[in-house]
Amino acid sequence: MAQETNKIAYYPGCSLNSTAIDFNISITKLLKVLGIGFKEIEDWNCCGTTPAHHTNEELSATLSARNLLLADKMGYDEILCPCVSCYNKLSHAAKMLNTSFSEMNPFEQEKKQQLVSDLKEMGFELKDSYGFKIYSILNYLFEKKELIRQKYLEISQTSGYNKSSLLAKIAPACYYGCALLRSNKLLKFDDIENPNSMEILLKDIGITSKSFQFKTECCGAIMSLTHKDLVLKLSKDILEMAYDCKANCIVVFCQLCQQNLDLRQSQINRYFKTEYKIPVLYLTQILGLALGLSEREVMLDKLFVSPNI
Amino acid sequence: MNNKNIDYGKIKNNLQNYIEPNIYYCCQCGKCSAGCPAVDLYDFKPHQVISLIQSNRIDEIVNSSAIWLCLECDICSNRCPENISIAAIMNYLRVSTWQKNTKKVKNISIFYKLFVRIVQFFGRSYEPGLILGLNIGTGRFLNDFDIAVDILKKRKIKVLPEFVKGRKKISKATKKYL
Ligand code: SF4
Ligand code: SF4
Repeated sequence: MAQETNKIAYYPGCSLNSTAIDFNISITKLLKVLGIGFKEIEDWNCCGTTPAHHTNEELSATLSARNLLLADKMGYDEILCPCVSCYNKLSHAAKMLNTSFSEMNPFEQEKKQQLVSDLKEMGFELKDSYGFKIYSILNYLFEKKELIRQKYLEISQTSGYNKSSLLAKIAPACYYGCALLRSNKLLKFDDIENPNSMEILLKDIGITSKSFQFKTECCGAIMSLTHKDLVLKLSKDILEMAYDCKANCIVVFCQLCQQNLDLRQSQINRYFKTEYKIPVLYLTQILGLALGLSEREVMLDKLFVSPNI
Repeated sequence: MNNKNIDYGKIKNNLQNYIEPNIYYCCQCGKCSAGCPAVDLYDFKPHQVISLIQSNRIDEIVNSSAIWLCLECDICSNRCPENISIAAIMNYLRVSTWQKNTKKVKNISIFYKLFVRIVQFFGRSYEPGLILGLNIGTGRFLNDFDIAVDILKKRKIKVLPEFVKGRKKISKATKKYL
């Protein structure tokens, strides 16, 4: 439906509200340029992310489902959820709410029963089933591919258009990470081992990406705070491969990948005695620049490794 | 969930009937373990975990570190020729046995508990409190101090917590879990 109405509920999640504020702002500015109406879910709460999901699935489902029901109250059943971790948790809760009891096996019924009772305890009245549809930023933008292309053609031909000098210079490695495409086999818009949707989106705005072998390797994100050695090693391998592919920047759509590669790049250099200096930009920052936003507006100044290429 | 006596029969039953009915099709080809980015740290490798379940030795997995080091990257599940969702099995084993595992994976369990408490209290995550609490709880006071300074310099963190209006209701409804 988003295709026709261009309206969607927006769930930023905790991390986009804080350490990934640049991702958040570049998304909302981009949506505005594209003329897409969005509304942040009022009084949204944390999805519980890995700590809830690893210890208790019911807790995870309840935390996520509350956000969905708040969106429903506001009259939305389509939700844009850029954080991949939140996306996975919200999608799981959406599946539980979208499926009626009669379609579930006893194991699932037991879980749904618990979910319904928790939500009632929080004061929600529940319908028998819902039609929630959750979008990650990549599949949402990929669905809007035509719109982005048109807008780019339109804007880049206006007389005042000043093509960002950065865009003229970049030769990116598109890094997808593991969490979006792999964990969601139903998300059939792109290939699991060799995805291409970012390359296509970038091609449409005149940027040619480098062929990159580590597109969906795992950066270790969920262990960032608990097993740093492993995370630094996995992230280092990704940076190294980007260098080997002669890329001069890495493009991502996940703030967890971004932080491991950008914020921890100095840590990696100290740990492995390397001298990497490769900027890691959000896809939304690059699209924003192409559609006429300034470097300040997409918050390039918040990147740790300076994007001066 | 507060029961420390793990019902292995039930776990096995749920695994083979609901979580992954294909589990007996595993041919031990080892593709899952070959692609796993964390495998060097595991005591049991992913294909061994599957084999232990098949031979009714779930109690041994409960005491392993494998299920707690899994990064959930799902490479294993995607490459398995028998289409077995190994990552989903790992997660089910984690949630259904985590109460017994807390000693073995102390830092992880400190982090998870602290995180959930913060979410129950504020309704949202609160990073400064989380990092401080984690470093104190695990005794690694200066862990990530370098990047914390970087983050502060860029003003990329909210110093004060945000409160969700519905936080009391959230806390009340979820207190029983953790
Ligand atoms: S890849 Fe699949 S079939 Fe092969 S060992 Fe792993 S679980 Fe078994
Ligand atoms: S999901 Fe876990 S077990 Fe599977 S490959 Fe990734 S880290 Fe290894």
